Amino acid sequence: MAWARPAAAIAVVVLALASSLGQAWDQDRMAQAAQRVGPRAVASVRALQPLLASAAATDERTLLASVNDFFNRRVVFTDDLAAWGSDDYWASPLETLERGQGDCEDYAIAKYFSLMAAGVPVAKLRLVYVRATIGGPGGAVQAHMVLAYYAQPGAEPLILDNLVGEVRAASRRPDLTPVFSFNSEGLWQGAAGAAAGDPTVRLSRWREVLAKARAEGFQ
Amino acid sequence: MSLIGQIWLKLFLVLVMAFLGSVAVHTDAMRETLQTQLRLKNSDNATALALVLSQQKGDAALMELAMSAQFDTGFYRRIRFVAADGTQRFQREAAPASLDAPGWFERLLPIEAVPGVAQVSDGWRALGRIEVLSHDTFAHDELWHAVKRAAAAMAIVGLLAALAGALIVNRIRRPLELTVEQARSLERGEYVTVVEPSAPELRRLVRAMNSMVARLKLVFEGQATQVETLRRQANCDPLTGLASRNHFMGQLATVLMREDGAAEGGLVLLRVLDLAELNRSLGHDAADRMLGAISQALQAYTERVKGCFVGRLNGSDFAMCLPVGGVSEETARALTEGLRAVLPAFGKSAAVAAGAVELAHGVPMAQLMSEADMALARAEAQGAFAVETSGEAGAALVKLGEGGWRRRLHEALADGRIALVAFPVRDAGGRLMHLECPLRVQLDLDGTFEPAARWLPLAVRARLTAALDERALALALSAIDDDGQPRAVNLAIGSLADSGFASRLRAQLLQSPRAARQVWLEVPEAAAADHFELVRELGRQLRPTGARLGLEHAGERLGRIERLFELGLDYVKIDAAISHGLSRDGNRAGFVTGLVAMLHSLSLQVVAEGVNDAADAAALWQCGVDGQTGPWVSAQVDSAG
Repeated sequence: MAWARPAAAIAVVVLALASSLGQAWDQDRMAQAAQRVGPRAVASVRALQPLLASAAATDERTLLASVNDFFNRRVVFTDDLAAWGSDDYWASPLETLERGQGDCEDYAIAKYFSLMAAGVPVAKLRLVYVRATIGGPGGAVQAHMVLAYYAQPGAEPLILDNLVGEVRAASRRPDLTPVFSFNSEGLWQGAAGAAAGDPTVRLSRWREVLAKARAEGFQ
Repeated sequence: MSLIGQIWLKLFLVLVMAFLGSVAVHTDAMRETLQTQLRLKNSDNATALALVLSQQKGDAALMELAMSAQFDTGFYRRIRFVAADGTQRFQREAAPASLDAPGWFERLLPIEAVPGVAQVSDGWRALGRIEVLSHDTFAHDELWHAVKRAAAAMAIVGLLAALAGALIVNRIRRPLELTVEQARSLERGEYVTVVEPSAPELRRLVRAMNSMVARLKLVFEGQATQVETLRRQANCDPLTGLASRNHFMGQLATVLMREDGAAEGGLVLLRVLDLAELNRSLGHDAADRMLGAISQALQAYTERVKGCFVGRLNGSDFAMCLPVGGVSEETARALTEGLRAVLPAFGKSAAVAAGAVELAHGVPMAQLMSEADMALARAEAQGAFAVETSGEAGAALVKLGEGGWRRRLHEALADGRIALVAFPVRDAGGRLMHLECPLRVQLDLDGTFEPAARWLPLAVRARLTAALDERALALALSAIDDDGQPRAVNLAIGSLADSGFASRLRAQLLQSPRAARQVWLEVPEAAAADHFELVRELGRQLRPTGARLGLEHAGERLGRIERLFELGLDYVKIDAAISHGLSRDGNRAGFVTGLVAMLHSLSLQVVAEGVNDAADAAALWQCGVDGQTGPWVSAQVDSAG
């Protein structure tokens, strides 16, 4: 196994180079966080990390599709009550991966943080509350959340969704009516807003999940 | 820095630190709370506003209206809308409101209000983001007022704590000062006990000091008893308890020679006729009882007449010295008549004879004794209960009326016809301790300066001693100013009874503080024995002046002065009657050694008075005295000088 040593050394150098190329994720911290969360999270992170590491080499459209697929495939849709025993629980990406279950916002959140970790600027991403019509026009209507990707400001977004596996432009999703969108832009301003120890973080679902994701090595 | 001072300083520092600390913590907590409140308000309002704006279907006019309405009706510093391309589309900003809080306070404790940010969209179209910043003026003012309130409250609490602290410090200080005062008086040789304080540590300390004082007192009392025993052995006839021959002769010599001895007086010698025959016929026991009866008769006089003293010269001879002139024969007759009534009870042949002589100050002892012996021999020759006197009736003293004496003393004082004579007191190394300076008064305009023996009894009756003593001190002070030699001044017992005397002396001494440190003041031993409180008060008054206080003519009653250690004395001069002939009397030397040891243990210096010859001087040095004075010492000085 003498050859394994130089190979490992090269891998370390390559990884170090990759992380120096502006990736917004912390490989070690993510691995450690996965250890704490559970064995399935460890396995998923091991699968996710090459995907994130290759982001610099691929175009964004491909990255969107692979991240979308990664989570749609690994996570089974369940509502929060079944998955977390809670009416409306916003799980962090690693929590979602460990359970292998999640509802619409868990998909959207996991994809949002993964793309940010892969280097997609936060201004291009928005979590969107939508009114979804299921089963064609006149079908059942339900509150839903998706992730929207804006290639340029003001352009038509691409939608990453768990109802439809394919990444499509917003105009090709007549079943979704957007209501309100948000992201974490500007939320990291000011020391007090970002501190994990800040007691106010737990009072807001969005802020809480932001803090948890950051602790897990995303962004 | 004193202990109390340190306690005060620490108390002060702790209070200031507590004050600053609590105000700082309070302020910081308040600032943190205000900051969080502002941040949450900004964030929530931004989200709410973004939600409203997202419902306007991208209509710019409607969106502006909504933002203006929010801005105008709310408490906002700034509302800003930035489009997706980064250009600013709308901004309303209020001028910063004027503050109650001063500028420095705002700079010192800034309140960082993070603007609230939320995204605005129209359907899938991202329109931009909204930024909301609330007014923080109220927060600064709130903080400022809260800090002022907290500071005021803490200041009041601090003041109360300081008051409580003051009470506690005072509770510590009073007993502490008492204890320190006790320690100081111990240093001065005054052994006082103080009340135990309530603080346990101090109580233990005070208890320890008190018990030490009590033990010391016991030791001193024990020593005093021992010395008294030695004195009796040395000076008293074991059978009758009267003074032995040596002692009586010493006392008599002192009266005749001393500056302030008696001007005139009388001496009575009393002999038991044929004591050897009585011993045989009555038996020793009965003879001893008879001798006891005689000595009791004699002692009755010493108790009634101040200054009278008696002694047993040998087996059959008794002697009595009277302090008053012209009464010796009368006294001798009264004595023999009294014994004539008593003695037959012991045996038919029991009888006495008496000789009486008048004595005058300065008459040589030998001459006096031979006159007295001759008188006694003549009386003995006459037979039982006879009394004879020496031919000359007293010395040729000028007898004036009491008024005449008073006038003459007054005149002498007024004319300044007074002077100090000086006798050196030297230590074992021959160094001068001080000059003993008795006062002499020139009673007659062209007469000699007379010693105290001539005028003191009259001055006492005329109540002039205080004035004389003050003049003597004034003379001594000016002499010290001239030559720097320490001087001792005698104070009369009569002066102490004058209530203003001590404070006048003190004032006099305080006026020349440098000379005062060279002054030695002495009162007779009798003063300490009979007027203990007066002497102690004098000591207290003199203490701050630096002058020393001592007893003179001491020895006879020293062991019997209770609480001698409380007098606060510096030195004691042993009477000439004790030092006189010491070299030939081993018992007395033992007494003097014990006396000196006792006085030394009280930190008192001891000086022997009336040293007459080299043998006595050597014996006295051996007894441990610190200094000597007397004719022999003066002669040494003269020959040395």
